[in-house]
Amino acid sequence: MANVTFRNVRKSFGEFVALEELDLHINEGEFVALLGPSGCGKSTTLRMLAGLEFPTSGEIMIGDRVVNDLAPGKRDIAMVFQSYALYPHMSVGENIGYPLKKRGIKGRERDDAVQKAAELLQLDALLDRKPKQLSGGQQQRVALGRALVRDPQVFLLDEPLSNLDAKLRSYMRAELIELHRRLGKTMVYVTHDQLEAMTMASRIAVMHGGRVQQFDTPDAIYNRPANRFVAGFIGTPPMNQVEGTVEGGHFITGGHKVPIDRSAYADALRDGPVVLGVRPEAITIGKGEGLPATVRLAENTGHETIVTLELPDRTRISARVEAARRLDVGHSVALTFDPDAIHLFEASATGARLNLDAKSASVVSMRSK
Amino acid sequence: MKTLRPIVLNLVTWTLVLLIAFPLLWMIITSLKPQSELFRIPPTWIPESITFEHYWRLLSETPFLRYFRNSVVLAVSTTVFVVILGTLGAYSLVRFTYRGRETMAMLVLFTYLLPSVVLIIPLYLMIASLGLSNSLFGLILAHTTFALPYALWLLRSFMEGIPEDLENAALVDGASRMGAFKDVIFPQLLPGIISTALFTFILSWNEYLYALVLVNSESVTPLTTGVMSMLISAFNIEWSLLMAASVMMSLPLIVVFAFLQSYLTSGFGAGGVKG
Amino acid sequence: MTAIATNPPRDRRSPLERAYARLGVLLIAPTIIVFSLVIVYPLLAAIYLSVFSIYTPTLQGDFVGAANYIELLTGGAFWHSLGVTLIWTVGTLSLQIIAGIGLALLLHQNIWFRSLARSLVLFPYFLSTVVAVLVWRWLFNDLYGALNHGLIQLGILDMPLDWLGSMPNAMIGVILVGAWKYFPFVVIAVLARLQTIPENLYEAARIDGAGPVGRFFDITLPQLRSVLVVIILLRAIWDFKEFDLLYLLTGGGPVTSTQTLSLLVYQEAFGLNQMGQAAAYSVGMMLVMLAFMVLYIRRTGGK
Repeated sequence: MANVTFRNVRKSFGEFVALEELDLHINEGEFVALLGPSGCGKSTTLRMLAGLEFPTSGEIMIGDRVVNDLAPGKRDIAMVFQSYALYPHMSVGENIGYPLKKRGIKGRERDDAVQKAAELLQLDALLDRKPKQLSGGQQQRVALGRALVRDPQVFLLDEPLSNLDAKLRSYMRAELIELHRRLGKTMVYVTHDQLEAMTMASRIAVMHGGRVQQFDTPDAIYNRPANRFVAGFIGTPPMNQVEGTVEGGHFITGGHKVPIDRSAYADALRDGPVVLGVRPEAITIGKGEGLPATVRLAENTGHETIVTLELPDRTRISARVEAARRLDVGHSVALTFDPDAIHLFEASATGARLNLDAKSASVVSMRSK
Repeated sequence: MKTLRPIVLNLVTWTLVLLIAFPLLWMIITSLKPQSELFRIPPTWIPESITFEHYWRLLSETPFLRYFRNSVVLAVSTTVFVVILGTLGAYSLVRFTYRGRETMAMLVLFTYLLPSVVLIIPLYLMIASLGLSNSLFGLILAHTTFALPYALWLLRSFMEGIPEDLENAALVDGASRMGAFKDVIFPQLLPGIISTALFTFILSWNEYLYALVLVNSESVTPLTTGVMSMLISAFNIEWSLLMAASVMMSLPLIVVFAFLQSYLTSGFGAGGVKG
Repeated sequence: MTAIATNPPRDRRSPLERAYARLGVLLIAPTIIVFSLVIVYPLLAAIYLSVFSIYTPTLQGDFVGAANYIELLTGGAFWHSLGVTLIWTVGTLSLQIIAGIGLALLLHQNIWFRSLARSLVLFPYFLSTVVAVLVWRWLFNDLYGALNHGLIQLGILDMPLDWLGSMPNAMIGVILVGAWKYFPFVVIAVLARLQTIPENLYEAARIDGAGPVGRFFDITLPQLRSVLVVIILLRAIWDFKEFDLLYLLTGGGPVTSTQTLSLLVYQEAFGLNQMGQAAAYSVGMMLVMLAFMVLYIRRTGGK
């Protein structure tokens, strides 16, 4: 078991910069998800940790060893690939046993370890099959088995569930959580699926444009997004963002005043343009007092209804209401936001949160350099 | 109308196919005709009697077997040499990064298209000055000029078809680069290697120009120039004998076609004709 | 940020990365050595030789400067052969493409014994040129040849033709044999592409009311376009440099009417024993081909 540290890591492919400057410290036994849209640098990060890509500069450490110059096989890691990367010409048993074979473990000892890993993943009946004869879910478990069979310090998982169907995916999520609990190993998990990250990870590093946007617990990521990108990436539908200005301690948009909890900001709340963020569930749709809006669409999913509303300045926002609520398209309504659930961001492109706490600030401050 | 269409389609297609195959059929028919029937006017389309005398004469009275042996040695050596070099080279070109790699790949493609007659003059001089004229080794060396770029290009393409993560997984699992090559890449590349080997063998087996220029001693003459010389040297052209020689010369191809045709078609996809 | 900018990442590769690069170079090294020896050196030597006048049997010769190239430009032999080469290439290539597409379309259909039909069609391509030439010379034989008698029996000819000994028959003959030998290449490539055209494109066209001819021109042909460009370039290059087939069928004759550039180079070097002049012709030929080669490399080399 070991912690993992990225120190000032930068990666460029010729002109293209994949990672700007990565500082990340993952604690021993932690389950960390690297979450972001494609091209954000999350896979590059994982592959550098595995030794499959080389950082342009900076240091990568596993435990207290700098691993930059170590071959992948000497880093004491195991990896599950998105494509599973099962060796097609080897049986399931040979696939799982391969990492042991490469470490000179032979005969009985190897067979026992393979058997144990196979039983853990309910693969023991399939040991003689070839990967091609297995279902997608079974192949995925073989890939896991190949990682588990050895006792590595860190597990790396690169979108391991993305090729499974929805039902199997949710089953495997539970399996992986259980596995992490049982093994207690450090796990680094790359995904573009926020549901996977939110449900499985102890901490999430949200990445975008080659930078870590926020590295925090799922709860903090959801409830205190560090900037507009995180706010707009997490949640389905994501947080609404309304442009406006702060004047005398109030948020004004389109001539309407929205009350905010001033105590949360102290001196961060200065007059000028800001972006207000509010989650769909913190919006109340009523009549009379409030921000005027027009109902554009109401989608009933069975247990709730997602309402798309249009503000006078044409900004579209969504709100979550109970399924039974009837709202007619085209009708005018008045919106009120829960003052405790309002987030304010800088109006700049990066859009940092106005009241960042010190920990998140350290991550975000670098972007202004 | 509905039932007639497929029949018409079949008839048209098969007529064309048989027309294309006719020269080959005619080759076999001629090789089996007795001498007396050969020079009939008009020719008998279906032979009245069949004889193997020409094959017997070919094997017992002409140096055909020696030519055949030379061709086997030549084609097999060229193939083994070129496939080993090509496999390692293709692995390097596809899976490694170093300066000059792109240039090398371009050079391979360029030489793949280069006309033999440009190289033949200096090669003739070089092989003569090395004292390798009239030796199979000199001819093998000359055959690498077209076989190596071809094999490299084909193998490069097959290598690109092997998922990179397969090698990565082996590296993470503890293999070295060469270990990963042996355990994972080589087994995956094997069909491509077989396909490349077959193509290289056929190219080398069929090669004519280098043999014509570099060899004039009976003892190393391969089939192509050897059989051709039988045509030229004979006072009275013995077409049956030549057709028997042609059939015998095509035997390796017939074997490949009968049993390994899928490797030939997969080689085609790899050999630079991907859209 | 400034610290990173002033330290270009070029030579900060890790030892592991450098070890990989070394291994990569080691693996390609045998290829580079053989390449240099049998391809790069002869290629440069050909250019070097082209400014000498060398008598082949003795290999003695003098520096003559640009004389060989002046002969190339003003002597007429090169231009004559270039013309012959172009006629041969365009003729045989067009036949190959038309026959190739046609047969590929037919063999793509559900035919009885389809795989046997495909094998029979593909076979000429893999056949030795020597065998192909022997068979065709026997077929072309003016006295006993099956071709003349077949055509007479079908009523197309009333007298046997002299196929390879007179013009334009000789050119038609070599173009025909070239097409027969090399069109299977087009068949295989087009067939492979046809199999990847999604069926629903045809269904959509059928719903839109397109007939078989319309479907061919609106769907099949555009889908084949990119593969056809590559095939045409590749075959053009190969046909342009073809030696065996023409040399063995006609030897360039009658006189020089089928003497392509490849044959001219060979004839000059080993028939007329003028190696320097031959080298100059070969360099000239390569320069003409370079245009096609660059086009092809542009088209496929990147990938």
